[in-house]
Amino acid sequence: MDVDEVNERAGPREFGPHDDLPREYREAATRMIQFHANSEIMGAYLEKPFIRQAPSLDRKLALSAKVQDEIGHGQLLYRAAESLGVKTRDEMLTELAEGEGKFLNCFHYEMDEWWETPMIAFFVDGAAMRRQATLKRTSWEPYAHAMDKICFEEGFHVKHGEDIMKELATGSKKEREKLQEAFDEWWPRIIQFFGPTDDQSTHHDFAADVGLKTMTNDDLRNAFIDAYVPKAKKYGLEIPDEPRIRERDDGTYEVVEDDLDWSEFFAIAKNDYDPGKEQIGGRRRAQEAVEWVREALDDHETRTRGREPQAAD
Amino acid sequence: MIWEVFRQEKTGEYHTHCGNVHAPDREMAKMFAQIQHGRRKPTNSLWVVPQEEVGEVDTEEARFGGTTDKSYRWAMTYQGVDADFAEEVAESQQEQEAAERQRGDD
Amino acid sequence: MTALDPDDLSGDERTAVEHLLYRLADDELVLAERYTEWQVTAPTLESDLALANIAQDELGHARLWYDLLQDLGYSESELIYERDPGEFRHATLAEVPFEEGDWADAVVRGYLYDVAENCRLEALENSAHPRIANRVSKVRGEEEYHREHARNWLERLAGDEDGRRRLQTALDRLFPHALTLFEPTDETVEDDIVGMGIRRRGLDDLREEWLATVEPFLESVGLRLPMDPDDPADRLPDAVGRDRSHTDDWFDLHDEMTHTYRELGRTETTRIMDKPTDE
Repeated sequence: MDVDEVNERAGPREFGPHDDLPREYREAATRMIQFHANSEIMGAYLEKPFIRQAPSLDRKLALSAKVQDEIGHGQLLYRAAESLGVKTRDEMLTELAEGEGKFLNCFHYEMDEWWETPMIAFFVDGAAMRRQATLKRTSWEPYAHAMDKICFEEGFHVKHGEDIMKELATGSKKEREKLQEAFDEWWPRIIQFFGPTDDQSTHHDFAADVGLKTMTNDDLRNAFIDAYVPKAKKYGLEIPDEPRIRERDDGTYEVVEDDLDWSEFFAIAKNDYDPGKEQIGGRRRAQEAVEWVREALDDHETRTRGREPQAAD
Repeated sequence: MIWEVFRQEKTGEYHTHCGNVHAPDREMAKMFAQIQHGRRKPTNSLWVVPQEEVGEVDTEEARFGGTTDKSYRWAMTYQGVDADFAEEVAESQQEQEAAERQRGDD
Repeated sequence: MTALDPDDLSGDERTAVEHLLYRLADDELVLAERYTEWQVTAPTLESDLALANIAQDELGHARLWYDLLQDLGYSESELIYERDPGEFRHATLAEVPFEEGDWADAVVRGYLYDVAENCRLEALENSAHPRIANRVSKVRGEEEYHREHARNWLERLAGDEDGRRRLQTALDRLFPHALTLFEPTDETVEDDIVGMGIRRRGLDDLREEWLATVEPFLESVGLRLPMDPDDPADRLPDAVGRDRSHTDDWFDLHDEMTHTYRELGRTETTRIMDKPTDE
């Protein structure tokens, strides 16, 4: 199949591993899904400390389950990416550890305290979920199948995130203040989640033409603002003055891009931002520390050819 | 040998188990499966898998989903916040509700 | 068998029940807390999911046992968040930290603990305290997976020379801590626990049964116990946990666990789930 034919046939869940797809499609899809998978892993890193720091047993359980789900999403997505035949999961995980794998801007920042958790668990996850819902109609069938399961699970994450936010917003004065501080700090990053407005986005056109992406960044950003700004207000959060967000006559929103720090955003996009580099370094150390286990498993697999140990005797 | 057969009805859908065939090798299994399992039901694709390669774990030996309360994993548990503010959150919760009902039916 | 009515416990009965529940609940909580350190850092994505699930199982079990203590009048805050870490009763096996990348420790620790857990739960199935007995089957329903998980990992890692060496190192380090699982919280109270039928078997008895299971299995995969099984008490570590003596690592861990609670000046803990029921 050449690119023209792909463009012509492109539709929801149209292409699978049995299709003879051009290199351009395979590489674009790999880049997109690998980014998504990496983001699941690196997001889990940010949230992990709060399993321990959760202020009740039930919250601890929910956080652990959430981090578990995110790793599970990484598992599903690396498989969907792997099935394109461009890179293996090992290669993608190595790229992530070595700072070559790209991931979501929000997960390059540090998250230090419990009151910041709703910023990821409610807003960022909410934004991600909005995007993921549209990806159920992506043209790479294994990606769409991964989305079915991911979207099924994500409702818990967003609701739990809101539940934590609600608790803080209705808690002591200190809790309300801390929540507002966290919101002020995270809000511009959350808005940048959707990237710059569409005319500046590099990979958009091809991905949209071949049906990998089904909604533009601008449309996703509008949908997110529509649903999540009222939520923030409901919990008494003041929306920071910047970035300025103007509602147009047609009900869509204009985000004043000059109010956002795009040099930081593009440094992050190149994995060239210090806190993010710390996070990547942490990932690398953790992954190298258990390299011996993966080697032992590989040896075992070779010895037994994937059967139980007894079968090798 | 016996080959398990999985049928996908339309592009993009899941391959689901639909039966099996006796065949001496993979090629013959594909030949037979086309006729036995694909001749009338809508079929876009079939998978054939040697039965002996299928590992199974069932409720005899496993407690899927655990035996203690794990409702913290479910969207419905968080009743103090609504799911309806965003279509995709509401849909996720509906899917979870359906899954929980099915689990309960066992 | 006489049932101990939880609403009508004598002073000694109440103390015995409480000690037993603290042993159970604190072990599960603290071990789970350590297990969660592997979330995001386990050797593979699949093994990450599995260990996270085991951690959640153990936390769920802690929740069941703490709930019975709550019925005796304590709040979750008092039991975990505001409790002096020097009052916890868990075995030191649960509290010692993992070295980064030491998956052999996670596997060996899980195995030693899960077999002991099975022995003690069996001995609680016909507890004179019916509410303890009632909860045992729920807990045991999840423990089978834990033991199989540990055995499978042990067999596979032990098949590899480097893996076996690492497992042996972990076993040498952990075994003394595992022995603390069978130490009494207090000799007199322990006599009451057995004498009143709250647990049907004594700790020495449980330890023997445990050894009779773990020793041959570990030997079968090429590992040896770092002790004379006839004189196990000889190898106890300095801190044994049960008597409230702990390693410094536990105090650091408790400090981290309670950080948010203290920072926000909380006085209560949030419940998400319903109170466990007796069936």
